Amino acid sequence: MAEYQEKTLDLAPEALTKKDILIMWLRFYFANEIPHSFDRYIAPSLLWAMIPVLKKLYKDKDELAAAYQRHLLFFNTQISWGGGIITGLMASLEQERASQVYKKEEITITDDLIYNTKAGLMGALAGIGDSIDSGTIQYIFIAIAIPWAEQGLAIGALFPFIAFSLYQALIGLFFANQGFRLGRQASDLLTSSTMQNTINVLSILGLFMMGILAGNYVKVTSSLQFTISGKEFIIQDILDSVIPGLLPILVVFGVYGYFVKKGMNVTKALLGLTLILAVLGAVGIL
Amino acid sequence: METLSVVQALIIALWIGAVMSRSFLGGATTTLRFTPMMTGLVCGIVMGDVANAMMVVAAIQLIYMGVFSPGGQMPSEPAIAAGIAVPVAMLGNLDPEAAIAVAVPVGLLGSYLYQFRFFLNTFVVKLSDKYAAEGNAKGLTWSIIGIPILISFALFTPLMFVALYFGTPLIASIVNAAAGGIVFHVLTVIGNGLAAIGIAVTVYVIGRKEYIVFFLLAYFMSVMLKSLSIPMVTYAILGTVIAVIFVLAQSKSTAD
Repeated sequence: MAEYQEKTLDLAPEALTKKDILIMWLRFYFANEIPHSFDRYIAPSLLWAMIPVLKKLYKDKDELAAAYQRHLLFFNTQISWGGGIITGLMASLEQERASQVYKKEEITITDDLIYNTKAGLMGALAGIGDSIDSGTIQYIFIAIAIPWAEQGLAIGALFPFIAFSLYQALIGLFFANQGFRLGRQASDLLTSSTMQNTINVLSILGLFMMGILAGNYVKVTSSLQFTISGKEFIIQDILDSVIPGLLPILVVFGVYGYFVKKGMNVTKALLGLTLILAVLGAVGIL
Repeated sequence: METLSVVQALIIALWIGAVMSRSFLGGATTTLRFTPMMTGLVCGIVMGDVANAMMVVAAIQLIYMGVFSPGGQMPSEPAIAAGIAVPVAMLGNLDPEAAIAVAVPVGLLGSYLYQFRFFLNTFVVKLSDKYAAEGNAKGLTWSIIGIPILISFALFTPLMFVALYFGTPLIASIVNAAAGGIVFHVLTVIGNGLAAIGIAVTVYVIGRKEYIVFFLLAYFMSVMLKSLSIPMVTYAILGTVIAVIFVLAQSKSTAD
C-alpha cells in the first residue's frame, strides 16, 4: 500500500532500458504505414510506437497528453533508416526533456527543437533508406530469386520476402539503438567512413545485379529480314555479330535517359514504352 | 472456361486486404506490396498449382523491378496486379508474357485505390488528435491501428472478390481469344521489353552515375556468358567482390 502511494505520487520519469527501445522499434515496424494518410503521413505510427516510452517518462497526465500531441505532427520517412534512427533519437530527446520537466529546470528540449530535429532528418534519411533498402537490397534479393521462380519454385517468392523483412527489422533495431545512444549526434552516423563505404559497396552491387538481370531478362530482338539480290539479311544476326545485346541495352538506357531528362515518371515510361514496343512489334521491326 | 470458386476468390481477396492494409506482419508488408511474388505464390497455393503461378509471377515481377514508393504512393500496385493477373493467366492457360498485358492496367487501377485509402485515413487522424489531447492510449491504438485496418479491408477485399469471382473468367476468355497471331506477337514483344523499365528505374534510383560502368560490365558479361547459365548467387558473390575491391582501392587512394 505504501509502495503504491509512493508510485502514484512520484512523478519522476523511469529510466529507459534497451528493452524499451526494442519494443518501441517493433511497434514502429508493425504500425509503419497502417495509418498512412495525406495530411500526416506516418506521424500516427511514430506516436503509437512511442506510447509506452512516453508513459514511462511523463507521469503527469497533462505532460503526457502534450507529448502525444507533439508526435502527431506531419511525419514521413523510410521505415528502417529513417524510422530506426528517428524513433531512437526521439526517445533520447524525450528522456532529456522529461528529466528537465521533473527537475523543474529550464526546458531546452522545446517542442520546436523536437520537431525540427525530426523534420531535418526525415527527408534525408528517407532518401538514403529508400535507395539503399527498397531500391538496392530488395532487388538484389529478388534478382537472386527470379530464376527459382521461373523454374516454378515457391522459394523464389519466400526468399526475398523473408530475407528483406528480416533485414529491415534488424537494421532498424540497430539504427534505433544507435539513435538512442547518440542522441542529437545521430546524424554523424551517416557521415562516418564505414557507412559511406558500405553504401558504396551496396550501390555498386545493386548496379552490377541490374546489369546481370538486364542481360538475362530484357529481350528485345529484331525480326526484320530481307533479301537483296539473292542474299538474305537477318538484321538480328548482323547485330549479334557486331555488338551482342545491343538492342536491350539501348532500350534500358533510353528509359534511363528519359528519367534523367524528365524526372522519374514510371507510369508515363510504362505506357510510352508499351506503345512503342506495340507499334514496332506490329509493323514487324521487333 | 474454368472459374474460381467462392472460397478461392475470398482467400485471395482477404490476402490482398491484409497486404494493402499493411497489417500482416506490419513492416514486412513493404515487400508484399512492392513485389508481386508472394501474392503469386498465394494464388498458386489457393489454385493448387504453385509451379505455374510462380512462372507467371516471375514475368510480372520483371516489369515491376525497381517499383517502390518514395512518399508512400506508387505508380502501380504490383500485389493487386498479381492478384488478378496470375489467376487470369492460370484460368486461361496464358503464357506469362500475356499475363503482363493484364497486370499493367490492373496495377494502375490499384494505385488509385491506395490513394483512396490515404484519403479515408485522413479523417481518422482527427480522431487521433482528440485521443492524444485526452492522453487516451487505448483510444489511440484504436484510431491509429484498428480503424485504418478495418477501412483497408472494407475497401480492398470486396472489390478484389468481385473482380476475381466475376472478372477473371471474363478477362481470361477475352485475352485468350485475342492471343494468337499478330496480337500474341505484340504482347510477347511488350512483355519481353518492359523489363527494361524496372531496371532503368533501379539504376536511376541508385543514382550513382559514376558507377554505371559496373552495370555495363555486368550486362556484357552476362550476355557473353549466357550459355554457361551461371546462377544469380554466383553473380552476386562476384559483384560483391568487385565492389569491395573497388571501394578498398578508392579509400586507399584517398588516404594516401
